[in-house]
Amino acid sequence: MRLRVNAEDHELPIAGHETLLTVLRERLQLTGAKLGCGRGECGACTVLVGGRLAYSCLTLAAGCEGEDITTIEGLGAVDALHPLQQAFIALDALQCGFCTPGQLMAASALLTRNESPTSEEVRAAMSGNLCRCGTYPKIERAVTAAAAAMREAGGASARQS
Amino acid sequence: MTEKRFVSTKVEVEGREEIKIVELPDLEPSPWDIDAKLAIVGQRVVRSDALEKVTGRARYTADVIRPAMLHAAFVRARVASGRVTRLDLTRALSLPGVRGALVAADVDGISHMGAPLFDTTIHWAGQPLAALCADTPELAREACTLVDIDVETLPHAVTLAASLGENAPLVRPGGNVPRRQPRIAQRGDVAAALASADFIITREYKTPCALHTPLEPHGSVAEWMGDDLTVWESTQGIFQVRSDIARAFTLPYNRVRVTKDYMGGGFGAKNYAAANTFTAVALARKLGRPVRCILDREGEQTDAGNRAASVQTVTLGALRDGTLIGIRADVKVAYGYSGWYASPAKIFHELYECANVNTSETFVYLNTGAMDSFRAPGHVEGAFALECAMDALARELGIDPLELRRRNYAQRDQEKKRPYSAKHLDKCYEEGAERFGWTHRRVGAAASRAHAGRLRRGVGMASQIWGAGGGPPAYATVRINPDGTVDVLTGAQDLGTGSRTIFAQIAAEALGARLADVRTVLGDTERLPYAGNSWGSITTASVGPAVRVAALNARSRVLEAAAELLGTDASTLDLRDSVVGIKGTERTMTLAQVGRELGDVMIMGQGSRGANPQDTAICAFAAQFAEVEVDVDTGRVRVLHITSAHDSGRIINPTLAESQLEGGIIQGLGYALFEERVLDTALGISMNPNTHDYKIPTIGDIPTIDAFFVESADVVANHTGARGIAEAPIIPTAPAIANAVADALGVDVTEIPLTPWRVLAALNGV
Repeated sequence: MRLRVNAEDHELPIAGHETLLTVLRERLQLTGAKLGCGRGECGACTVLVGGRLAYSCLTLAAGCEGEDITTIEGLGAVDALHPLQQAFIALDALQCGFCTPGQLMAASALLTRNESPTSEEVRAAMSGNLCRCGTYPKIERAVTAAAAAMREAGGASARQS
Repeated sequence: MTEKRFVSTKVEVEGREEIKIVELPDLEPSPWDIDAKLAIVGQRVVRSDALEKVTGRARYTADVIRPAMLHAAFVRARVASGRVTRLDLTRALSLPGVRGALVAADVDGISHMGAPLFDTTIHWAGQPLAALCADTPELAREACTLVDIDVETLPHAVTLAASLGENAPLVRPGGNVPRRQPRIAQRGDVAAALASADFIITREYKTPCALHTPLEPHGSVAEWMGDDLTVWESTQGIFQVRSDIARAFTLPYNRVRVTKDYMGGGFGAKNYAAANTFTAVALARKLGRPVRCILDREGEQTDAGNRAASVQTVTLGALRDGTLIGIRADVKVAYGYSGWYASPAKIFHELYECANVNTSETFVYLNTGAMDSFRAPGHVEGAFALECAMDALARELGIDPLELRRRNYAQRDQEKKRPYSAKHLDKCYEEGAERFGWTHRRVGAAASRAHAGRLRRGVGMASQIWGAGGGPPAYATVRINPDGTVDVLTGAQDLGTGSRTIFAQIAAEALGARLADVRTVLGDTERLPYAGNSWGSITTASVGPAVRVAALNARSRVLEAAAELLGTDASTLDLRDSVVGIKGTERTMTLAQVGRELGDVMIMGQGSRGANPQDTAICAFAAQFAEVEVDVDTGRVRVLHITSAHDSGRIINPTLAESQLEGGIIQGLGYALFEERVLDTALGISMNPNTHDYKIPTIGDIPTIDAFFVESADVVANHTGARGIAEAPIIPTAPAIANAVADALGVDVTEIPLTPWRVLAALNGV
């Protein structure tokens, strides 16, 4: 079957039981999404499927044909980071970094549907992504800062056009 | 007579003090004191590996993919005590894609968590009984379900009462209490002191079994190339794992390479090689292919260590003015199948001035997963009991809890009769109370209770002490490349603490290089000089001085080379921002120019950590303040605000240090409110070996947190002025929160986690 990941098509034989996370990590070697629990509890495996947040450990790869899948590797380029990635770096919204890809994907899903989330909305949207290092205060700050930066950039480009 | 090159020095790790024979460094620079003019150390520079982490390029153990790699999974015991009478692998091995298995006979002499690996006697539920190896992780797990096992179940003891009761089943052949007796520590005469006290309080406190729950489970990848073994390990101690492997498989150290680049949390659980390590190594050798072995979440939550539960009976005796004159604690620790003496009692001897202290600790073996170090092991448990008892005493005496603590301020280490290298807990009390608004929040909380409404506010506080001096041995090399860039090489680990970043800051400062040109390389036993485990809050204070010395040695060498190039004497030269200049002139050369002229001449400096000061206690101190809101209808506790004031000497990077404080506080909040391994005592198995039912805090549980450091530089501790940070913040959180809940409810709170039913039980006096 054909899987479209980060705007690239992959032709792969996929067994019915294989999760999207396994296919991304072990077959496509996109190891940014992590296996933390395998039960949709920790959020370390979060990716976007059709622009919507998905726990890839609970998502069957076979069901993703025709969908646009975005992983952390496709969120921004190293020389053109996504505003969320910039904010996470600038505000130290990470410690060990293991949950960070999932946190960023969950935040990007939030900002896609809500460009100026309140503190409560950030907390609600991010509450499915555990961080054992306890980086939460800075994650909340970084998501809010990125939202502001994106609004500003959006406003600037709207004014230009 | 030449001076001795090797000397004895004391090093405290996780509350245990060891004497080490260490080699003195060639250079022991004068300390960076509080007035030292530092340009890079102390700055809030960005974490050096942040880009790798936000782009998903940071490679963790499970991300290592080797050619022809196989995957291992464990068959685990489902009962707490028993005997395996039959273990038949036939069906499992016949599954296509399954390549092999490992049972006890394959790993003779290797132990895991205090028992032989794959022991046929079952000591705890979750104990590994065999491992299966297959082409994919899914196949390996499926193969595990096809192993036919017969088990004869035996009586188990999974609670203190069951293990200490009459006719208790023997958990260990030698008895259920190590050395069959409690561990006593005392000074003065407690009985006499308590007899003369104006006030005495006695309370029984209970703390839960808490699980580390790193988001990345334990894991290893092992690959043999001839006689050479490489292991990628999620670990806090690469050199420890190397020696564990070398001993287990009788290999020369120089044939075992252990590497760790990134790791997803340890918190004390990843200090040694374990079942995952030995299994990957043994299967890789047996099958001639690389093997990856990563624990699944259930394995992580049942067989990878824990903070032992405790029951602590505490008696405090005081004079009318609040002076503590007697402290007694009787402690029982629910060990699990094995563990070490992480002492809840220790803090009773340390935190307050008191001439008469007596503690008794009984460590009890149980048929549950083994205890292991967990961020300030012992101290977290002990601090909860001591600091809650202090508040109970304050209520009894009618003294402000903060004032009671100030009146019993310990001026020196009474246990070992020695001074502190530095102690600014008084400043923590003062600045913490000020920034928290201790006085007005207390008034506000009292006013909220006057309405006797459903939501009641309370405030509480607690303080802490924790050995944080670090010490030798630790080594570093600083290497200047021909283009003027700099490598800092040391075999330490960065667990997410920021050590990679701060070593670069220290090296850049000492060398006179631009920070952007300095890179730290960690985590490789084959290619880097020795540094110890990242535990016991020791890394900054242990490795930092070695990095500084290495940078200073590289500096003097590069200046000598530049002097030759410039036709002058090295003493006329200065080096700053990667530019060498002749003092008092405009003549300069960049490090890159020096490097270009020299070509591939290798300018290197070696550094090591010197001895600790003699007869000195080196500790981190903190005072923490909490405000909570309790719903008296539902019993739900919400923490609204935490202020945490810390004294850890010089702070190399305040941003990263504050991140660690927040992390410790949040783990402490989980311990106070949610976290608890729940056992089915009849079956002896865990009922919540996952991250849904074992509840760690989420972003929705987080209060506003103001965590900061009082300004200081500890010139006695070591020449960087820094002490440890990591464990201090978790120690006072649970008692500060519990004291705030007690304040809100007007009743004693003696058991954590403060789940709604425990809160309601406390409120109803049940």
